[in-house]
Amino acid sequence: MAAAFASRCSRVGRSLSGGLSNSSPGLFTSSHGMTCNNLFSQQQRTFIQMRTVLKVVDNSGAKKVMCIQALKGKKGARLGDTIIASVKEAHPNGKVKKGKVVYGVVVRAAMQKGRCDGSEVKFDDNAVVLVDKQGQPIGTRVFGPVPHELRQKKHVKILTLAGHIA
Amino acid sequence: MLGVIGAGTWLRYSKALLQPWKVGFSSLSAVDGRKHHLLDLQEIETVLTDVKADNVKVIPVPKHCDWADFMVLATGRSTWHVKNIAQALIYKAKQKQRGVERMMLPSVEGQAGGKWIVIDSGKVIVHALDEKARAYYNLEGLWTPGTIQNEREEDLQKALVKVRRKNNSKKPAQKNA
Repeated sequence: MAAAFASRCSRVGRSLSGGLSNSSPGLFTSSHGMTCNNLFSQQQRTFIQMRTVLKVVDNSGAKKVMCIQALKGKKGARLGDTIIASVKEAHPNGKVKKGKVVYGVVVRAAMQKGRCDGSEVKFDDNAVVLVDKQGQPIGTRVFGPVPHELRQKKHVKILTLAGHIA
Repeated sequence: MLGVIGAGTWLRYSKALLQPWKVGFSSLSAVDGRKHHLLDLQEIETVLTDVKADNVKVIPVPKHCDWADFMVLATGRSTWHVKNIAQALIYKAKQKQRGVERMMLPSVEGQAGGKWIVIDSGKVIVHALDEKARAYYNLEGLWTPGTIQNEREEDLQKALVKVRRKNNSKKPAQKNA
């Protein structure tokens, strides 16, 4: 059901973007140009899967992590899901070191997520907040906008540490 | 076009019907003029006084964050004390809704560990923390109005000191608690 719901949601977005691109060129376009416009406009973001590099937005000392496993879902992780990642870049004197395997919660995702009023939320980057095995955040502050869908996913701690709720 | 959007909306509603807790949560967020919440502020303060929680602080959340009205911070003396604070609040919510056909309980996060437990009851969010966790995360400094830039620098310096202390002390966790 969730996979069908996600595919239907992405289909709705796809048909909307297709309609917009069809109306904007006008009548005097060739079929080849229309095909190219459709191909460009139908590009969509994918799940966060293995070897996805994400940005770390807390003050735990890590800069970039690479996803090695998504804990929920076969295709990958989306907004609010928990992943297992390894630290690829880290600050000196930080709490986590380069090469350490950590848990993280996705707080910003480039793949869109539907809200209950029919709108969608998606971001320009993939961002993650590092947590330990029990779910407690490693850092003490979360920077940047954080959507309030994390409340339904039971990540109120990250919402509490965040300075800006989107 | 419209048929596809309508089908998506219907599928979304049918998905909501399959999971009743989401319906409860959305009704909580939708109806703002609702008279009784899961836990009122006075009831929370009474329960926290009964279980002898230390350093209880009520912080009104500023208006640009509309996801909660009040944030209550409570300190427990040990891990089990923090768990008992959370259990007492859940028990109070159950007692309040006794006899209701379908009970709606607050969502609890972090109950397995016991260092930092969040009880989310709609408009009031209760944080029960251990003493070390409260000093570490410093939630009062974040939610009371003040200068943001100085707080970040201080927090980073404090975090570095704490990392050194953690590395130096090699005592087991039970002795510390």
